[in-house]
Amino acid sequence: MIHHTMGVDGSYPFLLAVWLLPLLGAILLWAFGPQLGRLGGPLGCAAVGLAFVFTVLSWGAGTQHGAGGALGAHQLLVSWLPGFDFGLLLDPLALLWALIITGVGFLIHVYSIGYMDGDRAFARFFAYLNFFVFAMLTLVLSDNFVGLLIGWGLVGLASYFLIGFWIEKPSAVAAARKAFVLNVVGDVGIMFAIFVMFAATGSTAFGDVFAHAGSFGTTALLTVCVALFVGAAAKSAQIPLHTWLPDAMEGPTPVSALIHAATMVTAGVYLIARCAPLWSQSADAQLLVGTIGGLTALVGAILGVAQWDIKRILAYSTMSQIGYMIMGVGIGAYEGGVAHFFTHAFFKAQLFLGSGLIIHALANEQDVRKMGGLRKKLPFAFVAMATGVLAICGIPGFSGFFSKDQVIYGALEHGHPWLYAVGIVTAGITAYYMCRMLFVTFLGSYRGDVDPSDLGMRHPELAGTAHADDGHDGHDGHAHAPAWYMNVPVGILIVPTVLIGWLMFGGENSPWAHFFAGQFPVWHPGAAPISETLTTVIVLVVVVIGIGLAYWRYATAAALADAIPRLREESIRMPAVLTNLFYFDAAIDLLFVRPAQLLGTVFGRFLDPHVIDGGVRDVAAGARWLGVLTRSFQTGLVRAYALFVVFGALLFVAYYAFAGSIR
Amino acid sequence: MLQVAITNYIALSATIFFIGVAGVLLRRNPLIMLMSIELMWNAANLLFLAFSRMWGNNAGHIFAFLVITVAAAEAAIGLAIVVIVFRNAKNVDVDEVAGLRG
Repeated sequence: MIHHTMGVDGSYPFLLAVWLLPLLGAILLWAFGPQLGRLGGPLGCAAVGLAFVFTVLSWGAGTQHGAGGALGAHQLLVSWLPGFDFGLLLDPLALLWALIITGVGFLIHVYSIGYMDGDRAFARFFAYLNFFVFAMLTLVLSDNFVGLLIGWGLVGLASYFLIGFWIEKPSAVAAARKAFVLNVVGDVGIMFAIFVMFAATGSTAFGDVFAHAGSFGTTALLTVCVALFVGAAAKSAQIPLHTWLPDAMEGPTPVSALIHAATMVTAGVYLIARCAPLWSQSADAQLLVGTIGGLTALVGAILGVAQWDIKRILAYSTMSQIGYMIMGVGIGAYEGGVAHFFTHAFFKAQLFLGSGLIIHALANEQDVRKMGGLRKKLPFAFVAMATGVLAICGIPGFSGFFSKDQVIYGALEHGHPWLYAVGIVTAGITAYYMCRMLFVTFLGSYRGDVDPSDLGMRHPELAGTAHADDGHDGHDGHAHAPAWYMNVPVGILIVPTVLIGWLMFGGENSPWAHFFAGQFPVWHPGAAPISETLTTVIVLVVVVIGIGLAYWRYATAAALADAIPRLREESIRMPAVLTNLFYFDAAIDLLFVRPAQLLGTVFGRFLDPHVIDGGVRDVAAGARWLGVLTRSFQTGLVRAYALFVVFGALLFVAYYAFAGSIR
Repeated sequence: MLQVAITNYIALSATIFFIGVAGVLLRRNPLIMLMSIELMWNAANLLFLAFSRMWGNNAGHIFAFLVITVAAAEAAIGLAIVVIVFRNAKNVDVDEVAGLRG
């Protein structure tokens, strides 16, 4: 067995601290939640905040270069069976994820103190959040596929806990179950990939598997990549396993920001970037993953146009942006895909936390049609949302501009002109629906007191609207200004949302490229038919068209003046194919749920009662019948017994008589 | 000395034996049933002795003594059971004593 060369072996106590502090926090919060009371929030924040500090302190270890191409820090924890060595690995890729998980995670923890204020399970919420951070760190810090799968499963569990946090809401419970089931589909995919990899290499460590990547054979390599991608698609909400993500918005908004925007849903991006040595050798896998990513980006954006629930708009936008990331890492533009994860983590967390400010202030109203004119009421939320929207649209200078162009141009560089076109079109649609959300929410006049039917909201429940009276019993139902510890995290997030993209400025010489030097397979691009500058211009033109269209439809003076009938018109005229979300749920229902239910019915109604139970019942009836038969001999009469003895004796005599006569 | 054919002994023995069988099956008085069993024992003894005489050895005699010993033990146990049953059931009709009916 080849000893892997990923990371410089050694002892890194800071790395252990990063990994275990959130677990400690979770255990304390779980054990002493009721006693801690309001202190649960600061304790949860402290655990993650300290983990962030230790992550920063591990920077040097994580970016060090050792002999033989070793990159980052590696610490062996447990040696189990041959091929199953568990350890921690912190290389630039893991470091980046750990920074986001603990850093953005810390800000969202602080925000949650305000958002979850007064909830009856306040400490339990922080226990779940800390547990999630621990699980996610297990995922990204593991040095082998089994550890990764353990983290992979645990984040799914944490996600299940947190989506269904308000257990008194049936829709939240259903959404949690759906998310868990779809995620387990992905877990099975990864487990299958591990089987194939172990059979081929005799090890589950990243280093061993990647060292043998060339000797897999085309089919085995493609099998591994596809199986891994099933996992990535389920976790990262890629078509057709994406349907759980919009439903997951039933969870509290900080959960949506942390798990379903910034970190967990990007685990698929991490997995593919981590397995770059496998993907780089399988053109088929690259094409498949790139295509699915591009499709997801496009479909997510189109569905984002048709949503009215502010969190669902953001959810489809998340799905679409992860589609970009998956497309990037799928086709081999690893640095671009990972860069988009990095910027997206900031601006999408900010957008979610900004929407949380609105939802919190409006006593759990989530339908943008019931908002309007909030720019004056919530100026800070407006600034936060506006910068987030500018970043996601890719306005030059904002973070999304740099990373998104890297992905789109990467598609062309790696020889996928169709994905390039899809990326550009999606950028335009993204600009349109994000500005639509911004304009409808913040411009015009407040529509909270308008009759819902005048806004075209026929079925508030079906429209996905949360109400002040369902769930969330801690809130007093009145609009109120958020506390400082809700505003400050959003304010801090604005800085990277605007500026962080400059790290990627400068191509080969950018800090970003230096950070990742030696991480991904080296690849020299050929001459692309369209230059990077021209690409930027094309994307910008498309984005401006999208923004202009949104402005024309929602923000001109005429549009604002009769916003109510226009919104009503749009709600009623929404094409059925969009309100039914391209029938993905119906298709999954028809293809998988119904056959499974049919199978269950066959087993439940026929096979179980008639075959399995029937067999058991027949055995029981046979034993009973035998008992009745033999009981009838036991008359208790001595003379009857004597008769049997006589008959028996006669039979003996008869046997020998006949046997003798035959002989 | 008058020689009696072995078939006559067998016929007599079978007759005595089936009288015993009929007694056990048809009578309801346990004392009579025990006596019938004695008849069967003795039918067997008669055959032992007849064949012993026919073959001219003593094995049949030995067996006959063994049978008499076992029959004595059997009669002792049987009478003891009859006495015990009589104490409890206050009658000596075996058909009335059917507590083991399944």
